Amino acid sequence: MNQQLQLLVAIQDLEQMIRDTEDETRAREFTEMGFTLNGLDNLKKSLIELETQLDPRHRNYYRKLTQKFGHAVVPVIGNLCMGCFANIPSSFVSVTHENKVLHCENCGRILYWP
Amino acid sequence: MTLTEVLKHTSPALFLSELQATDKQSALEEIVGGLIAGTPITNRDTILQMLQSREQLGSTAVGPGIAFPHGRTLAVRQLTILIARAARGIPFDSIDGAPTHLFFVLIAPPHDSGNQYIRSLAVLTDKLQSAELREKLMAAPDYDGFCKTLQEA
Repeated sequence: MNQQLQLLVAIQDLEQMIRDTEDETRAREFTEMGFTLNGLDNLKKSLIELETQLDPRHRNYYRKLTQKFGHAVVPVIGNLCMGCFANIPSSFVSVTHENKVLHCENCGRILYWP
Repeated sequence: MTLTEVLKHTSPALFLSELQATDKQSALEEIVGGLIAGTPITNRDTILQMLQSREQLGSTAVGPGIAFPHGRTLAVRQLTILIARAARGIPFDSIDGAPTHLFFVLIAPPHDSGNQYIRSLAVLTDKLQSAELREKLMAAPDYDGFCKTLQEA
């Protein structure tokens, strides 16, 4: 898997975790189950570290997509982009093995095959 | 959500009867290895990184001898639950400082339809407060016995 795509996925996962922790309702659900959430600063530091490893081109594009759609990286399931539900050409599937970061031709989101 | 519904997200292939790990990092690695071996999931590094990040937020070893490593990641298509045991116990930064013997690992996709992930976590954390149940689960002979014990409690 492309290292930049791996980083983009990790960054998006981490941002989701940070959002969940900062969401009062969600955080209350976790604390009521007994979990402590006192390491938010650690997560933010890790996020900065990951972002510094990103190619600036990918980082800027990721930010633009996040602002526009909420999620920049979306899974492809059943040959469909799960962001816009456009069909992803089957030729893309073979290209994924060529170590590239691919975008949906319809919405521009970054594609990930889980 | 019922316990039966929660257990639909696990399987015999996601039951690690005896972890070999001796510390937290190697336990997480062994757990992720079990997920990869027991499902079509392929992205080992992403899942491991997510679980490590979650532990940075605060240890998931919240009960006596029990931990619930969990989180959401693009690397999975559906809620997946792995169960693992460690009779000798593994240091897992638990709140009471005691080693962890039982692990319920919940990995969900970012778009978690019906909030299954949080609801499953709530069911399990509630159910597993019983020390007697935890002891019985450690003694269960196999996956079927484990699930039966859990459902009968």
